[in-house]
Amino acid sequence: MESTFKRSFDSLQELFEFTESFLETESVHAADRHDVHFAVEELFTNMVKYNAAGQSDIRLALERNGDHLLVSLIDSDSTPFDVTRSPPVDIHRPIEQREPGGLGLHLTKKVVDSIEYHHDNGCTTIKFSKDLR
Amino acid sequence: MLEIGIGEQGRIFIAGRLDAAQTEKAQAFLDSVEGSAVVDCDRLEYISSAGLGVLLRTQKRLMANGGGLRLVNVNPHINNIFRYSGFDHIFEVEAAGT
Repeated sequence: MESTFKRSFDSLQELFEFTESFLETESVHAADRHDVHFAVEELFTNMVKYNAAGQSDIRLALERNGDHLLVSLIDSDSTPFDVTRSPPVDIHRPIEQREPGGLGLHLTKKVVDSIEYHHDNGCTTIKFSKDLR
Repeated sequence: MLEIGIGEQGRIFIAGRLDAAQTEKAQAFLDSVEGSAVVDCDRLEYISSAGLGVLLRTQKRLMANGGGLRLVNVNPHINNIFRYSGFDHIFEVEAAGT
């Protein structure tokens, strides 16, 4: 199941509804649903933020393979930004040393089971998998 | 969609989805909070990193003046996100059902 979404935070509600529809059809457990929604939003918003000038819509594809969910986000008008190489986050720093931002990719890696990044000829593809309970 | 306001017993309530499209609304409300406050998360279904940024920004401002937010009735999914973020060290967090 796949669809395209405009490169805007305003697409988030539509993105959520599309993803939820798939997860509901597949009877995915509530905890896994939450993790999938989280990862989809974080990766989508990264594409919006870091390739704001891109002209293409962003494609989301969802597929179930047995006990695994496979999710792809494809931005065909993008500059390289390897989400798998985001800097580590020290979550134990005191609040005086914490600033908003920088948590999205750290958390995404926590809630998915694998994540891959490819960039070729202006096209970014990010794939993640989630083992379903 | 997101709802935020003052509910029972003067507690702040946040309901719905605090995603990147809703941060402006949530921040505008929380910027009006002073001192110490309880945030009832009973009907908060989802929070993204953008939503975490709103809470952190507010907590830093309030704690600098001796106050802070206490987050109560936090569902297990959001509680996990708080733990993975280290927010359980910088907020007082009460899970739902405790």
